[in-house]
This record gives sequence, structure tokens and C-alpha cells, in this order.
Amino acid sequence: MSLSLVAVFFVAAGLIAVGAFAAAWRRDMTAALAGVPLMFAGAGVAFAGVARFAAAGGPQLFGQEFAVVLAVAAAALLALGLGIAGREGQR
Amino acid sequence: MDSLHAIGFYVSSGVSLAGALGVALLGNRDVRGASMAVVGVGLAGVYLSLSAGFVAAVALVCYAGCALLVASPLYRPMASVVGSRWRQVGAIGAAALLAVLAYSAFRGEFVHANFYGGAFGVANLGRLFFAHDALSTEALAVLVLVAFAGATAVWRVRERTR
Repeated sequence: MSLSLVAVFFVAAGLIAVGAFAAAWRRDMTAALAGVPLMFAGAGVAFAGVARFAAAGGPQLFGQEFAVVLAVAAAALLALGLGIAGREGQR
Repeated sequence: MDSLHAIGFYVSSGVSLAGALGVALLGNRDVRGASMAVVGVGLAGVYLSLSAGFVAAVALVCYAGCALLVASPLYRPMASVVGSRWRQVGAIGAAALLAVLAYSAFRGEFVHANFYGGAFGVANLGRLFFAHDALSTEALAVLVLVAFAGATAVWRVRERTR
């Protein structure tokens, strides 16, 4: 059994599409916001995969760096979005 | 890459995709939060099988925070003003996005790049964060600060108006 960049891209595509589906389909705004970290997760997987396979036999730092940035940004954006949505929901 | 890494990758990606479907489809808030935690665990496994241990640890922490936020009862539900027709259009658009990305994935062997950033390790990753890409790190720190200060301010205003 082997692993290729195509398999990594498939997983990334699945995460991004499921996140987009959640953001579009959910009627509740706070539930729809949960799709944003899923899309960020897909992008992070794609970055880490490209860095892993493009730098075969070498270092893989840049993609991993961007994956860290995306994970932290996902958590921050979800916190801000839920705060704003909760505030709007009070009216 | 050996088969152990490949098996770990496929199992972890299945776990993360199952959790993502739970986030998208399940109705209960607690279950959605648990599904987000499952996404984090699967994502950490995917990163580990891609030899990105530090990213796996960061993703685990960040998605645990996301799970707590999603499952929190402090946020009231807010009904969207978008009609059902546009939601259906959005769902079809997500399916089209999946088709386009899957087609792009078939063409994924185009990557032929070299990286000259030094040896792998947390110390070198820290050098990238705080020296080479310090500006993007600062921008991310500002985003996190604004997010949490904004959430705190919103929360305080809401408590005061009760």
C-alpha cells in the first residue's frame, strides 16, 4: 500500500467540499460557521501534502508552516464569528 | 513512504471525513462539537502520517478549541435569512466544487518543486515563523488578538444588556 499526492488532494477536496456544504446548507448561522474550520483543514492538508511530496528526500517546512497558520486562523475566525452571531441573535 | 504511514493516512482521513460529515449533517449541538473533535483527531493523524508532528499537535489543540466553541451552549442559534432555494443552490455548488477539486486532484502529479529551507525540526520551524516569515506571524497574532478581544467585548455587552 502506498500513498501519493493524489490521495492527499482527494482528502483535502473532500474536507473543503464538506465544509462548503455545511456553510451553505445549515439554516442556523452558528452551525454554518462550523464549516469554515473544515475548509481551512482541507487547505492545510493540501499544503502539508504538497510540501511532503514536492520536497521528497528534503525538508518540508513551508507547507507545514502554512498549515499551522491555517489551524490557528480557523480557531480565531470561529471564535469571532460565533461571538458576532451570538450578539446578533440577541436582537 | 512505507505502508504503515499509508494505512495511518487512510484511516485518519476516513476519521476526519466522517467527523466533517457529522459537523455538516447532525443537528444536536453537542454531537456537532464531538464531531469537530473527531475532525481534529483525524486531522492530527493525517498530519502525523505526512511527517508533520508539530502541525498535528497545533491542529489538535486548535480543533479542540473549535469543538468547545461549537458545542458551547452560550451561543444562541441565529436563523439565516437565506431562503431554501439559495441553500439548495449552495449545496449544489459544494458538490460542483468537489467535482472540480477531485478532477484537479487527478492532475496532482504536476508538483515538481524544490525547497531549500534547511533541515526539518521545531527549531527550524520557529526560525521560519519568527525570522523569515515574521510579518505573517505578526498578522496572525493580530487576527487572534482581534478575534478574542472582539468575542470578549461582544460577550460583555451582551451580559450588560441582560
